[in-house]
Amino acid sequence: MHLWKRVGLFFCSLRRRYIWFFFLAPTLVALISIVVFPLVFSLSLSFHDWNIIRAKAWSWTGIANYRTILFEDPYFRSAFKVTLLYLVGTVSLQFGLGLLVALILHRITEKIIGFLRTALILPITMTPVIVGMIWRLMYNPDLGMLNYFLTWFRLSPVNWTGMPLTALPSVMMADIWEWTPFVALILLAGLQALPQEPFEAALVDGASSWQTFRYVTLPLLSPVMLVALLIRVMDSFKTFDLIFVLTQGGPGMSTEILNYYTYRYGFKFFHLGYASALSWLLLVVVTIISIVLVRIIRSKGISVGGAR
Amino acid sequence: MNEALTAKVKKIIFVVIAAVVFAVILFPPVVLFLTSIKTELDALSFPPKWVFQPTLENYKHIFQFSPFMKYLLNSLTVASLNTGAVLVLGSLAAYSLARFRFKGADNIAFWILSVRMMPPVAAIIPIYIIMRNLRLLDTPWSLVITYLTFNLPFAVWMMRSFFREIPREIEESALVDGCSDFGAFWNVALPLVAPGLVATGILTFIFSWNEFLFALILTGSKAVTLPVGITGFMKETGINWGYMTAGGVLALIPVVIFTISVQKHLVKGLTMGALK
Repeated sequence: MHLWKRVGLFFCSLRRRYIWFFFLAPTLVALISIVVFPLVFSLSLSFHDWNIIRAKAWSWTGIANYRTILFEDPYFRSAFKVTLLYLVGTVSLQFGLGLLVALILHRITEKIIGFLRTALILPITMTPVIVGMIWRLMYNPDLGMLNYFLTWFRLSPVNWTGMPLTALPSVMMADIWEWTPFVALILLAGLQALPQEPFEAALVDGASSWQTFRYVTLPLLSPVMLVALLIRVMDSFKTFDLIFVLTQGGPGMSTEILNYYTYRYGFKFFHLGYASALSWLLLVVVTIISIVLVRIIRSKGISVGGAR
Repeated sequence: MNEALTAKVKKIIFVVIAAVVFAVILFPPVVLFLTSIKTELDALSFPPKWVFQPTLENYKHIFQFSPFMKYLLNSLTVASLNTGAVLVLGSLAAYSLARFRFKGADNIAFWILSVRMMPPVAAIIPIYIIMRNLRLLDTPWSLVITYLTFNLPFAVWMMRSFFREIPREIEESALVDGCSDFGAFWNVALPLVAPGLVATGILTFIFSWNEFLFALILTGSKAVTLPVGITGFMKETGINWGYMTAGGVLALIPVVIFTISVQKHLVKGLTMGALK
């Protein structure tokens, strides 16, 4: 008993200063060992040439991998272009359509909203592989629904995911179906949380509905839009499941984004050194974009994760 | 009078657009379900059949002639174990970040958030090599551990915002008769955020359940989870749509039930606690 009390007192004094660390340490240790350590490992690997199926040791190549990727690899350039196209195309349409849906839902009665909200949630949490599967079924050239709808207008069937010209837009359309509800849901929550006074003031001043939207709604909603934008942009770089199920990056390289290209180099060709270098370039791009966006969000005084 | 009429017309237009949105969202999953209860002949007919004799053959088949049950159990094991670990580690860390004042708390929080944003493909190569050396490839453990990379940061941020919502005074009253910070956490704070803990756990479970890339690379046969198992129905020789859609429907059932049960916390969950 006596001993316990002294141990207790000792910890009591320690506690006041360092207790935060004991709560936080397990998570930090976990994240350091499964994220930081592997990333350092792959950074080192990226300066080597190593193919896992040939039983050869790592051979140091310096920055050769990076030089090849940036200056000599035409496929990297193509994947980079496809990544940007995919990102800009899907995210901008998701925001346009999402804003429209949010504004409309905000205007109609509570009862319908409740029902529609539930429907909106489904694509967001649905297993992405199954989303891909559903769209593969829809796009199927022989028995898919989309070609069935085309027959209504007497149009000839299209091989949606099989042709270089339509493959990328087809994958993008599935992505837009999956994530527009996400944007709409978040913007709707943002709209519902807006204060009423600015809108009353705009009404009193005789602002038109466009003016109210442009000068009151949009600025007030912009913090919420930025948070949604950050999440969508980061997730867009991670798109993998949809592409894997729908096109496997093909035909040719028409739907191969950087993420998929890196996967293929690592786990189809087993050039793990080269793939590590690719993954680090991807990481750098993503980190720069996220730092810029997080800076903007924090400078706007939004307490991300705050008690709002 | 005229104004009232335009308002009414506007409202009708809005409702019509909302109905179209609703239809566009629900149509693809409905097609999935219908295909799963068609015979192979009906499923392959074009134009699609809307009236047909429903059958459960596809569902029976995948349980009898494919390792579907194994995939299901693997997914359950991985998602449950991962969720348990995430809730224990995550709520402790979140409490620390929400309650104790120390230098760099914000920076640590943002570092944890940045881990969540990392593309998984950046970590998959070293993780694959490490798991191979630890002889954990094709075991549920490799996935239970690896899924911490995205679920732990998520839980920390989500729980942090829940802890911040409880008034500090309530815990301080618990601290008066001793100096047990852990007691204040365990006996006072944690029960107060119980609904938040449940919501975080459910979303963590869904994220684990849905994960594909890590499972594809880290498992081969014994530990294959549902998303990977289902894509196995896509073969070079063609896709059996009946089996694949039946598997898809079964995999979606828990997701849909869980999603509807956490609706209230979903916006918070999707924005990692940034918005309510």
